[in-house]
Amino acid sequence: MTDSEQHPYVEWIASEARRPVLMDPGARDRIMAAVRAEPVPAPAPAWRRFLQPHVIHMSPAATSLLAAGLVGIGVLTGVVMSNRGGLTAEHPRGVAVLPSQPPVSDTLVKFVFVAPQAQNVSLVGDFNEWDLAKTPMIRSGESGLWTVVLPLSAGRHLYAFVVDGSSWVQDPSAPIAPDDGFGHANSVKLVVRGSSS
Amino acid sequence: MSDDAADVQRVLAGDVEAYAALVDRYYDRCARFAIRMLGNRDDAEDALQATFLRAYRALNRYQERDRFSAWLYRILVNQCRSVAARRAHRERVFVREEALLLNAPDHSTVWTGEDEEFVQRVLNELDPLLREAFLLKHIEEMSYEEMSALTGVGVSALKMRVKRACDRLRERWERIQHD
Repeated sequence: MTDSEQHPYVEWIASEARRPVLMDPGARDRIMAAVRAEPVPAPAPAWRRFLQPHVIHMSPAATSLLAAGLVGIGVLTGVVMSNRGGLTAEHPRGVAVLPSQPPVSDTLVKFVFVAPQAQNVSLVGDFNEWDLAKTPMIRSGESGLWTVVLPLSAGRHLYAFVVDGSSWVQDPSAPIAPDDGFGHANSVKLVVRGSSS
Repeated sequence: MSDDAADVQRVLAGDVEAYAALVDRYYDRCARFAIRMLGNRDDAEDALQATFLRAYRALNRYQERDRFSAWLYRILVNQCRSVAARRAHRERVFVREEALLLNAPDHSTVWTGEDEEFVQRVLNELDPLLREAFLLKHIEEMSYEEMSALTGVGVSALKMRVKRACDRLRERWERIQHD
């Protein structure tokens, strides 16, 4: 701690500033009123929970068994590969390492969805971390047409529409990706760099 | 599972009122930081409302391996920065140095510790980045590692900001003594 941090004046300012503050008693109620007006946040999709790091608790015996198994697999793999004259760490073949570059989101893509009865519609996809709050769609008058335009990088994108915060709907005008194995079938948008759609 | 994580799970299961427990648990601490950072209750309330609302909307992205308080504070610090930036466009607050000096305690004055307005004005004199670092370190009593995770600023830079903030306060005291 520096001399200035221990100076009595500085310590006095800090101790005074640590005192609790008084706020408008209705402020908390206003926060909860605003919260209640929001749709309930949807739980993270199953595939995302699956990808999150998990801590696995194992007994010492199970850990030893797993370690022995992994060593066994490694030994067997080494035997098979050496018998076939396969790839080794010392002699890699055909591996090109390219410098990684972040994708450039430079192509404007318009998404359109028809939902006359919806109160709100969000676009979720791999481009916005499947976050309901990031890309709300805008309703055009009373037509029930919801649209949003956003910049995407070139490539294949998976997406879906979420109606009223809870119903995940595929885009009827787009191809559907195979089920991801967790109960979701998403729409597919292919973006070609430089074009707009 | 912590109380926070349990409350988050209840909210995500559809129990909106469980969020009130999280608001109650962190409101006072967040309010203190917001007021000390922004200098007035109206702006602080704006920042608090935006913070708790954003946290609610993003609750499905909160991961149990993180501390909820640290996650919430990260949102709060960003909201305070946003509110301060909007205000800077809206108005410029000039504080008369003479008024500050007249109100400042000198070595012959008994510090009553009751002049919150005075302390707030002294804090307002600090550059916002220095004030933010000073508050996180000396008012919220966080470690530099916690501050770094929260602000995205390196530990050495944060130490420098805290030192400069304390130097400014000390210089202010010495200036008063000489006048």
